Amino acid sequence: MFKGWIVDIAYAINVSDSYIQTKRFFYNLLENDSYRFKKYFDMVMMALIFASVFIFIREVKYHVDDSLLFFNNIIISLIFLAEYLLRFWISSSITEVIIEQSEYDLMLSREFRLSKALRKIARQKLEYILSIRAIIDLLAILPFFHQFRLLRIFILFRVFKLFRYARSFQTFVSVLATKKFEFLTLSIFASIVIFVSSVLIYVMEANNPDSPVNTLYDAIYWSIVTISTVGYGDITPITYEGRMVAMIVIIAGIAVLAFTTSLAVSAFTEKLDEIKETKTVDDISKLKKFYIICGYEHISKEVAKQLVKNSNSLIVLDEDPKRVENAKSDGFVALNYDPGNIDSYKRLNIDLQRQVKAILCLRESDVENVYTTLTVRSIHKKIYILSLLMKEEHRNKLLYAGVNEIVYPKELVGMIAREFVGKPVAFEVIHALRSDYTNINIEEIIITPRMLRNAPLVADLHNARYRVILLGVYKKERKRFFFNPIDSTILEEGDYLVVIGNVLFIREFERSLYR
Amino acid sequence: MSKIGALIFGFNEYSLEIANNIGHKFGEIEIFSMSGAKEALEKEFAYPINRFDLSEDWGDLNERFDMEKSTAFCTLDDTAENIFLTISLRSSFKNLIIIAIAQNKESADKLSLAGANKVIPLVQTTSAMIADMLDKPVITEVLHNILYEKSSLKIAQIRVDKDDYFDGKYPTDIEWSREHGVIVLSVMHEDMSSEFIYSSKAKHHAIKNGDIFVVVGYERDIEEFEKLIGSRCDVSWSHWSR
Repeated sequence: MFKGWIVDIAYAINVSDSYIQTKRFFYNLLENDSYRFKKYFDMVMMALIFASVFIFIREVKYHVDDSLLFFNNIIISLIFLAEYLLRFWISSSITEVIIEQSEYDLMLSREFRLSKALRKIARQKLEYILSIRAIIDLLAILPFFHQFRLLRIFILFRVFKLFRYARSFQTFVSVLATKKFEFLTLSIFASIVIFVSSVLIYVMEANNPDSPVNTLYDAIYWSIVTISTVGYGDITPITYEGRMVAMIVIIAGIAVLAFTTSLAVSAFTEKLDEIKETKTVDDISKLKKFYIICGYEHISKEVAKQLVKNSNSLIVLDEDPKRVENAKSDGFVALNYDPGNIDSYKRLNIDLQRQVKAILCLRESDVENVYTTLTVRSIHKKIYILSLLMKEEHRNKLLYAGVNEIVYPKELVGMIAREFVGKPVAFEVIHALRSDYTNINIEEIIITPRMLRNAPLVADLHNARYRVILLGVYKKERKRFFFNPIDSTILEEGDYLVVIGNVLFIREFERSLYR
Repeated sequence: MSKIGALIFGFNEYSLEIANNIGHKFGEIEIFSMSGAKEALEKEFAYPINRFDLSEDWGDLNERFDMEKSTAFCTLDDTAENIFLTISLRSSFKNLIIIAIAQNKESADKLSLAGANKVIPLVQTTSAMIADMLDKPVITEVLHNILYEKSSLKIAQIRVDKDDYFDGKYPTDIEWSREHGVIVLSVMHEDMSSEFIYSSKAKHHAIKNGDIFVVVGYERDIEEFEKLIGSRCDVSWSHWSR
């Protein structure tokens, strides 16, 4: 009966929307680096830590106001306590363990074993409590018990908490961790040298009344100061034998220092690309709207240049390291990810629907473009995909793969040749309108609600006054272009005005619509 | 009697696309191929395929075509050969209209230097098209439909033959769209300089015979306009090279 209630409650909690949402919110806030409010939370926590340490330092020699002490000892500690409890809560799910155990027992047709589930829950929670991060968090709360003066030193653990919020430190530790074995070997070597030299110097010097080395503690202190190449000079060996030991320790010290430095440097060199990649991916996830260019060859290079010139953001994905290097040296954000691999998009950690304007398959190979298109389509049904087509006979394959728009350069050449020989002047005029070489441009102006208040009809636009030609209105709803619309044409929100004129006059005309 | 024709040099997908698109303009279209390997395709192909090599002096062409009025398309795959072909044609025929295809801007410049009247840089043209499609989708669609006649809207060049109709008026004095249902984009004067309709030069230039208007409109409106002021005209490439 009691067990049944527990399982029922676990199910009820597990499907409760408000519970799920609340838990997800706190998970995002505390653990999810890509959650946009996490950085603000981290900043607040870091500010609290700095405030706490500042008050602690100030208190050593000066009087600190009681309210500040109250803030430091009570408020900050309570905030940290709340954070600790929330982290404890989100570290694992109690309800899921109970449900899993009950379903497991049900499947095997035996009674629900609550004790086993509780043991599992306890194990998971204990694992969290004993993790280094959680221990630091807990120690950082201890200054709450300020009446125990000794406990106040734990305020310094709040500084350690900083590492939780500073990701660069985590990167630093993770890079050094790749050389764990080497560092371990080196530290064992250094420990042996320190131990042997300490004992030797103690044996050689301790009985000499003129020698500053009187205890084993002095000997160990001298060894560490010497091997680290710091050499304060407050303790120096005076006997012949002692100096011999000193020379050996100095040489060993140089070796230890050189090895340590080279280990750290090589760890960073090896991980540099990975660190850069992480940073790039992090930057990409913050972009609001951008294009993904798949493949960096001749055409994609020019397309990227044009898009960036028109103030667009874009990233380049290519599986060839050389082409990625080219893209980077051309100033684009590029990653050595295979655009035909689903994993590449997962690693990017982006919302395709919300962040990506279009995916451009611009490899000069239809096989690659079809493959990339299929990959993208398999993870997102609606995203706009534009692809280059190199051979006409592959058009159907690209369409079947799910491309929205195809650009076939050969067809383009045919059409251009047709216009060249037919209407060269008209062609040049249109070409001039589209290029940036002249001041005369053709532009689209989207109708906003504010514009509508000023100009509900075409007659209200007064474009001729600004020496701007209104070529027509593109009705978004009907996807139809109305050429040379009559004055009584009603404008609607989201319509596009296609206008031709001097760039400055067009700007002036656009401004007039907002007045 | 020699004919006016289109001579397409190179046997590849570009030359086939060009051949298929210029049929309305040229009665005679011939393709010139350097390799004989693909000649087997000739039977299935609508245009005659000739063989040539770069050392020719083109005497044969001179006999068969009116090289003053014909158009040559240089579409060889190899850039160096294409440039050599262009120079070779230009040195033999001063007034031949040469349109060449280039892979990029660099070879486009060389082809212009070699004497091509117009060069289509493939990479730049394609990428500009893609960037326009993404950045200005409405404009690209509208212009594409007008230029390549995929909608009922047309673009035409109309020469003014009856300037008395305008009675010394300036282009900006007339409400073209209201009165004639067409939009005049630019005016090309006798000196072959093309001016945007609202430019200060066009504003102070009274309309007279010989001016060419570039107009956009529906076919019927353009025809009406044409009857009123003059005639539709083809501007020869020999008159139009920048």
